Amino acid sequence: MSDKTTFEGRGIVKGNVTGPALVSRTPFSFLGDVDIRTGDVIGELSDLRGRNIAGRVLVVPATRGSAGAWRFLYQLKQHGTHPVAVITGELPDPSVVQGAILSGVPIISGLADRIGNTVTDATLLCVDGDSGVVTVIEAQ
Amino acid sequence: MRLSDQDKALLDGVKGDVDRQAMEALVQLGEAFDAEDMVDIGYAHVHAGMAMYLGDVELMEELAERGARMAVPASTNIANADMENWQATRAPESLVRLQKRAETAHNTMGTGGCFTCTPYWAGHWPTWNTHMASIESGVTVFCNSVLGARSNRDGFFAVYAGMTGRYPRFGLHLDENRKPTHRVVVEAAPSGTADFTVLGYAIGSQTTNAIPLITGLERRPNLDELDALGVGMATSGGVAMFILPGVTPPYGDGDAGLGADLPSLPIQERDLRAVYEDFCSGEHSRFDIVHLGCPHASFEEMKHYAQLLDGKMVKPGVELWITTNRTVRQMARDSGLLRPIEASGAKVISDTCPISCHFARTASPDPALGVEPPTLRAIVVDSAKQARYIRDMIHCPTLLTTTEKAVETAVSGTFVPRW
Repeated sequence: MSDKTTFEGRGIVKGNVTGPALVSRTPFSFLGDVDIRTGDVIGELSDLRGRNIAGRVLVVPATRGSAGAWRFLYQLKQHGTHPVAVITGELPDPSVVQGAILSGVPIISGLADRIGNTVTDATLLCVDGDSGVVTVIEAQ
Repeated sequence: MRLSDQDKALLDGVKGDVDRQAMEALVQLGEAFDAEDMVDIGYAHVHAGMAMYLGDVELMEELAERGARMAVPASTNIANADMENWQATRAPESLVRLQKRAETAHNTMGTGGCFTCTPYWAGHWPTWNTHMASIESGVTVFCNSVLGARSNRDGFFAVYAGMTGRYPRFGLHLDENRKPTHRVVVEAAPSGTADFTVLGYAIGSQTTNAIPLITGLERRPNLDELDALGVGMATSGGVAMFILPGVTPPYGDGDAGLGADLPSLPIQERDLRAVYEDFCSGEHSRFDIVHLGCPHASFEEMKHYAQLLDGKMVKPGVELWITTNRTVRQMARDSGLLRPIEASGAKVISDTCPISCHFARTASPDPALGVEPPTLRAIVVDSAKQARYIRDMIHCPTLLTTTEKAVETAVSGTFVPRW
């Protein structure tokens, strides 16, 4: 893979960060799927169960709904256990978007499939929420 | 996005840094959802600032200190401790002191501090076509479906909407998104708030993010039942609006035939039984608390509880909690309703409820607060919403039944099931 591979999605929440990917094929709920104290995924419906989302660029097909999602995303930020960015397939619900803006976690949507099929866990990604562009910095 | 001169002035910081932050966030939200412009809102139901969550009360304090003020009528959502009667729940005093700091911040910002999931029972009653923002999904569904107001399921940004009086025009603020997507045919005879939370839960379990058109009910549900129906489907299916012809503005009785071409969803008594059974995971003789008042009880429900408990005594070893908002508690006190309730040994608690108080295990409070969730054997409830979140947040078994049978349970010490 070239170190200049880029993907263009739709920038939902602004911000520019770089971090290692963590790729999931199952919808993710910020309320219930993750222990806010540690960032460990505990949800039985998530294929990330047992993994840790702290500091990762979380790649998920969709977020599952709960109006309380914003609060748990903000709690992850408060505990330093938050993903540094989120890449989704479907547009996330308003509560997730509000939590991400509040927490300074960029979100790009419309990309999870393409990225999930190309990168693997720990591939270093640069996420630009302003332009919606994801750049592969270093393939693992 | 098309912005008004006033929106642009806020972005330019004319009203200060904190209003600029609020408007910038609302614009970013609007752009994410392709909103064409912003609407004037008439009401906001906003985050309380929750003492059980790290740095959460401080979020509200920071806004207040930086000069945030509510530009429209606003109310506060549920909090993590009863700020008047906290000893009754054995909440640590440190938690209550922190919670009261959020109350002080809201007093500064001019938010109506009712600390409840049912602000309408405290007098916040938005009317037809009022654009609004709400942090509580139960408030969203009641206001859309019963009052005809227009609200999305928001998070923290309800407070930004309250500060600016503006909200991006997307979702349920648009007419085209307020049309039915499914036709529910109720083939059961629900009665009372517990049944209606269960009916809503059964509908939401099968129609995620839908707008169900409800048909087949034998009679017009009362206001408490309508409230219960909405919170049930908001809990299981993320439903933000239902349409009950004859109730939901502007749908009249003549609209019951609408949606013949929509996916049809029959709900039978066995579907209701399945929800009750799903939430009866505890042993019938081993429970610590019986809880009524989810969502927070109305004055009419307080009257009902007072009648049910008149002359009765709660069994020693059992606690009966009745949760309501502080406005309704005061009305009940003034009307003499608290006397028979409290004489029975029941506790009347405001500002919080079992899933919102220090029982929650999914919260992560500041360790310095010394919060220790108690170990509970089971909680008896009369609401599918409370049952669901007791399971998910307190990690404790539940026993779900009707209001009347929950009171019988509290008095006898043995669980009385719905069927």
